[in-house]
Amino acid sequence: MILRRNTLITIFVILWSLVFQYETLRANYLSPMAGRELPKLRFLFPPAGWIMFFNVDKSYGFAEVLGLRDGQPFKLDPHDILETRAVGYDNIHRNVLVGVLSRGDARSFCRFLQRKFPSYDEFLIVAAQYPDLIETPDRVLRQVAYRCQ
Amino acid sequence: MPPPFHLLSSTCYLPAMILHQLWHRAFLDKRPSLSLGLFRLAVAFTVGAHMMPSFFHMDDNYLATAFKTHNDSFFPIWLLRLVAQSPDALVWSFVVLFLASLTAFALGLFSQLSCILMTLSCYYFYALNNYHIGTLSFDILLVTLFLMCVTNYHGDFLSLDSLRRGDIRCYKRLRPIFIQRLLQLQLAWTFWYTALSKVTARGNWLTDNPYYYLMHYPPIGVVRDFPLRSWLGQHPALCYNLGILLLIFEFAVPFLWFLPQTRAISIFLGIAFQVMLWVTLHVPTIFLFLFPPMMLLFIHPTVLVRWIESRQARHATGGRGVLFYDGQCGFCLESVKRLRVLDLFGWVDPLDFHAQPDLSTLHPGLTPERCHSEMVLLEPDGRLSGGFDAFARFCWRLPLLWWCAPFVCLPGARWVGRRLYRWVAEHRYFLHRNPMCTTNQCAIREAGNGSPSTSLGGPS
Repeated sequence: MILRRNTLITIFVILWSLVFQYETLRANYLSPMAGRELPKLRFLFPPAGWIMFFNVDKSYGFAEVLGLRDGQPFKLDPHDILETRAVGYDNIHRNVLVGVLSRGDARSFCRFLQRKFPSYDEFLIVAAQYPDLIETPDRVLRQVAYRCQ
Repeated sequence: MPPPFHLLSSTCYLPAMILHQLWHRAFLDKRPSLSLGLFRLAVAFTVGAHMMPSFFHMDDNYLATAFKTHNDSFFPIWLLRLVAQSPDALVWSFVVLFLASLTAFALGLFSQLSCILMTLSCYYFYALNNYHIGTLSFDILLVTLFLMCVTNYHGDFLSLDSLRRGDIRCYKRLRPIFIQRLLQLQLAWTFWYTALSKVTARGNWLTDNPYYYLMHYPPIGVVRDFPLRSWLGQHPALCYNLGILLLIFEFAVPFLWFLPQTRAISIFLGIAFQVMLWVTLHVPTIFLFLFPPMMLLFIHPTVLVRWIESRQARHATGGRGVLFYDGQCGFCLESVKRLRVLDLFGWVDPLDFHAQPDLSTLHPGLTPERCHSEMVLLEPDGRLSGGFDAFARFCWRLPLLWWCAPFVCLPGARWVGRRLYRWVAEHRYFLHRNPMCTTNQCAIREAGNGSPSTSLGGPS
């Protein structure tokens, strides 16, 4: 009985450790070595291993949402757009809004904005970027990513 | 010339033996599982703190009107499509399932099953919409949850499961150490690989000055407005060195956690590091709520057991309270059995008042009539309380009942509590779950079997 239990635990520990190490190393080390994208295990582990703040450069990109009323643009407070408040931190500061720049999600986000802000005629989703936070900290480049009509 | 056969076999045998012993010590040895019981509370709190805010805006986050994004590297497409078809009623059902399983998990009620159901609910909401809850830290939390689902060891201590079992030695129940060890390894590898990714692959902590850049992030960025920020922003060399120090710390601390000599200081530094992260950055609080308790998992469980037993010994020498109960009542015997589970530090000795011939010698207020009508607590300082008031005293005295203490102090709680207690006391012979126990003779037999103490002695 004890032997069987120990065997099961040993098998589990070995398998778990192999999978853990594979998923940790897959994206940034194993795939480049293999010269192709190695398959990711579904349902567990982040897509690129443990990469908290691994690359921070002097530029900073973010998203802005402008509401248009009678042709006049009004910048919407991101906290009004995403009202869910996290415990102990501010998701807006974590740049969660930048996710809406993806064109694939544009239709869904436009529907969402039109429901939440019916007083506006249209919305502009703007990709903004500080190109160099050190040399030119006040310079922001802006480009319309898409428009919600 | 090859070595003789017997030497060869012994040279192979010795490393194999050492490896076997090390493996046994690392994963298979049985140790008290109380650390996992405590860790369960931290996990429940972390999951709740991360998930529950998203339920306050269901129309924004999960219902048909929500803005949803999907993590298609984590989930297969077929599953995302399936989950996306969820009608709102199903979404609400999962909210109920999540809240029920989270509560059960936190209380340690059917702790493995509740952990599995809670984890499945987390997966459901993650698949439904990863926009708010999907973060790297959430992926880390799911890895932890997976390990917690594997066994029920976390339900051994500080749980309703242990209370149901009436296991008064639950704090030293022995279990294979492998889950605790894998959780330790998860944390250690996470720290170590985080540091590695900063200096290899596309990491730029050696070649550039990320910490300095962070200090110049715009007000809407991830860095909080902490006191030294602008000063640090004027000292790029200091920022670079701080970054290097951070790297050295992240590389070294996983090893220091495993060394007994450096364990305490490295756990302290690790917790201080997490607090510093939270004070300076808007990072998900999963890091703050989960990682420090994971660090505490490096404390050897026997250290905690020794600490509990030292508290018990202190109460044994300093004097314990005595609880007089009706040993001829099955319901009372069951309750006393559970009370002894809750009495982690051995503060009270239950005593069947029938076994004490002259109660008044212990305290003038003690009479057989009173002890028959309600449980009576005699504290070491001579204070006497009975019924609901005795229960209220327990809430302050027994650490596992501290969570009840604010409730018994609420206005009107004493009035309701006394009446409720009176009703239970008067019907206690009918409350015993054994339907054959109509004459209470079985209760006497149970007492004879020695579940609760029947004399003024210490807990067995």
